[in-house]
Amino acid sequence: MSKPMPDDGRTHVRSGLMRESLVSRKLLEQTDGETVKGMVPDVKLVAIGGRSIMDRGAEAILPLVDMIVAQRPRHRMVVGVGGGARARHTYAIGLDLGLPVGGLARIVGGVEENNRDILQFLLAPHGGITLIKEHFRDLQLFLNNGMIPVCIGQPPYHFWEPPPRDGAGIPDNGPDVGLYQMAEIIGAEQFILVKDVDGVYTDNPTRNPKATLIRETTARDLLARDLPDLPIERELLHTLENARTVRHVQVINGLKPDNLKRALDGEHVGTIIRSSRSRA
Amino acid sequence: MSQKKDGKIWIEGMENALSDASLSGHSSRAAFADKQSVAVLPNLWIIKIGGQSIMDRGAKAVHPILAELVAAKNAGTQFILGTGGGTRARHIYSLGLDLKLPTGVLAHLGSSVPMQNARMLQLLMANDGGVICPADDVDRLPFILNSGCIPIMSGMPPFEFWEKNADVGLIPSNRTDAGVYLLAEFLGARGVLYIKDEDGLYTDDPKKNPSAKFVPETTAKALLEGGQDDIVVERAVLQHMQRAKKIREIRIVNGLKRGQITAALRGDNVGTLIRAN
Repeated sequence: MSKPMPDDGRTHVRSGLMRESLVSRKLLEQTDGETVKGMVPDVKLVAIGGRSIMDRGAEAILPLVDMIVAQRPRHRMVVGVGGGARARHTYAIGLDLGLPVGGLARIVGGVEENNRDILQFLLAPHGGITLIKEHFRDLQLFLNNGMIPVCIGQPPYHFWEPPPRDGAGIPDNGPDVGLYQMAEIIGAEQFILVKDVDGVYTDNPTRNPKATLIRETTARDLLARDLPDLPIERELLHTLENARTVRHVQVINGLKPDNLKRALDGEHVGTIIRSSRSRA
Repeated sequence: MSQKKDGKIWIEGMENALSDASLSGHSSRAAFADKQSVAVLPNLWIIKIGGQSIMDRGAKAVHPILAELVAAKNAGTQFILGTGGGTRARHIYSLGLDLKLPTGVLAHLGSSVPMQNARMLQLLMANDGGVICPADDVDRLPFILNSGCIPIMSGMPPFEFWEKNADVGLIPSNRTDAGVYLLAEFLGARGVLYIKDEDGLYTDDPKKNPSAKFVPETTAKALLEGGQDDIVVERAVLQHMQRAKKIREIRIVNGLKRGQITAALRGDNVGTLIRAN
């Protein structure tokens, strides 16, 4: 039992941070950890692109759904999904109306919920179930019952979405960041971004035929290259750089569904991006 | 049979400024860099009551501050009260750190204590119109304010498990100072006022270093670059300020000195003013 210590007018509890300012850099350095505990570390998180996969309709979605179902007996998976064309439409109209960035962040999740509900419906015969943030901590309940939880990606920053790094009126944080953050808490074995390109190229390969594939890199190097375009959120790289559990992500081409099987098995089939702060 | 364009489902009317753009592309993002946004609630102040600095001092500190705030409300000033965590939040962070829990879990755990403090204030202010405004009810603020009530909320942003790792340390970067700041930036609020137990910013923690000097005015940029180990507000606030469009300054006042809150709400130069740059 802690003894209150009303010495300076404030009632303290004896603890490691007692009377300390949590702003102090010296204190923060003392609290750092190379590794932290994961919640359900045998899980693999599969992030399905909105624009790259969902917007392509049946021809892209159904083979991936079949592959996820086929892999369920071999892997414990959480499936997340982004927004795509309707998210862009939301942003375009919202920006024209003069909505602040926190307002855009609050409403964009609505289109992801549509995509989540579509995937959940398609996976339902095989255990597809909706995972909402209030039930994040119930993950084991779903997985131990052989279910495939499907969730949206947009992180719940809502009106509190921080001002973007580049001054753009568009939120920095999208589904890639939100799902990565879930993977960090889960302590996931794999974080696989399923897109419609073979990985990260030196430029947008659909527009620039000279663009070449980057097979492996670090988040820091990729940020330093400052490429004009990326198939993933730039903010994901900043977030990955500070990884404590999920120290690499893989971007794969989901139009070749076999890639998902191989990536789940730990094969290198797309672009692997590592946190450069990786430690032993 | 659905219509497609470039292999993607397409309908008439979906064309827009972003439809062919990548949201990560520099050029598409830059196209919206100077776009003005509306102010959602421009007459509203966001006031944060410190956890360790005020709440943990108990009645002697809290009651006179609430009296000052109620008088301001009755004089027509509209504000939201956000609460800090304080000593119990530090205790749960200590416990979580000892167990090597990840930052997002610490942020989740750290949300409970500011909510307790919000509930304490609501009970004390109920007779003057204090009501709890949960994060999900922010879009009902006009209803609360037009009823003559005082919305009271936890200062913590609702990030919880989605709070990103910091570059140094495991303690969440966005805590209650950042939460009230980000809400103010979204609302395009009239101003942000932090009520603490010091006159404002010092060159070091004045509770530990008696030779620390008072700083009446500075910039977030100077503070971030200056290498000062301890600062009166969370570093995340100073970082957000660099990029913010609307809230370009914040003020810190000493709630233990009667009249400072009233003076700050009147626009007087009291406490410390921190400008973005």
